[in-house]
Amino acid sequence: MSELLYQTTVTSIGELVPSFVAEGMLVFFGENAPEELHSFCVLHKVEHQSGELLAGDVVNIDGNEFTVLAVGPVASENLMQLGHLNLKANGRTQAELPGDVCIAQVALPTVIVGSKLTIKRN
Amino acid sequence: MADYKAVKIEKGRGGWGGPLIVKPTADRPLIYCVTGGGIHPVAQHIADLTGGEVFDGFKSSAPFDKIAVAVIDCGGTARVGVYPMKKVLTVDIHATSPAGPLAMFITEDLFVSGVKPENVTPVN
Repeated sequence: MSELLYQTTVTSIGELVPSFVAEGMLVFFGENAPEELHSFCVLHKVEHQSGELLAGDVVNIDGNEFTVLAVGPVASENLMQLGHLNLKANGRTQAELPGDVCIAQVALPTVIVGSKLTIKRN
Repeated sequence: MADYKAVKIEKGRGGWGGPLIVKPTADRPLIYCVTGGGIHPVAQHIADLTGGEVFDGFKSSAPFDKIAVAVIDCGGTARVGVYPMKKVLTVDIHATSPAGPLAMFITEDLFVSGVKPENVTPVN
């Protein structure tokens, strides 16, 4: 039985998002993020959130699963308060920056409007 | 007409950059707060000392040229660079250093981090 921590649907993709993806990162923000952040962000509308994000949790983007390797000290608070997630496919087991959520060094999936992101704990 | 005063904002423990001198003006009155959980105490403290106007960036938006200083709680990737890129003075309450795709815009004359209320002091 897995516990659902977060569930959200993508509502817009900034024009600079592909260049961030090329560097192995996806930056998410809740829909009410200020406009100046929109160009490099994936905006989304939260449907469920609870608890705290921890290493070992599983991020699922449209069926692609990624185990969280490391969570920076401010990352969970960012996610729960602002819908802000810096997902970094860098394979690090220690977050380099305090806001980082690290997963394996893999190609990030293409996120589109309507994409679903969930985070679960198994 | 508000009577604005200047403050010096120094880096806190583990922080980087600064010190910044911030003095709002009638044209740039806003202490622009882009943090979780509403107006951050650091933003409120800057506003109290300067006479600037606190503004919650998550509630509504303001043009960059109205912002005296932006207060963020960025974990190091995105917000740290956005405001310096627009030449807006930026205070990060987290102790971050220049990093991320926008690192080139983060300079000591525009950015200071690790800031707590006690790092903000009046300038005579």
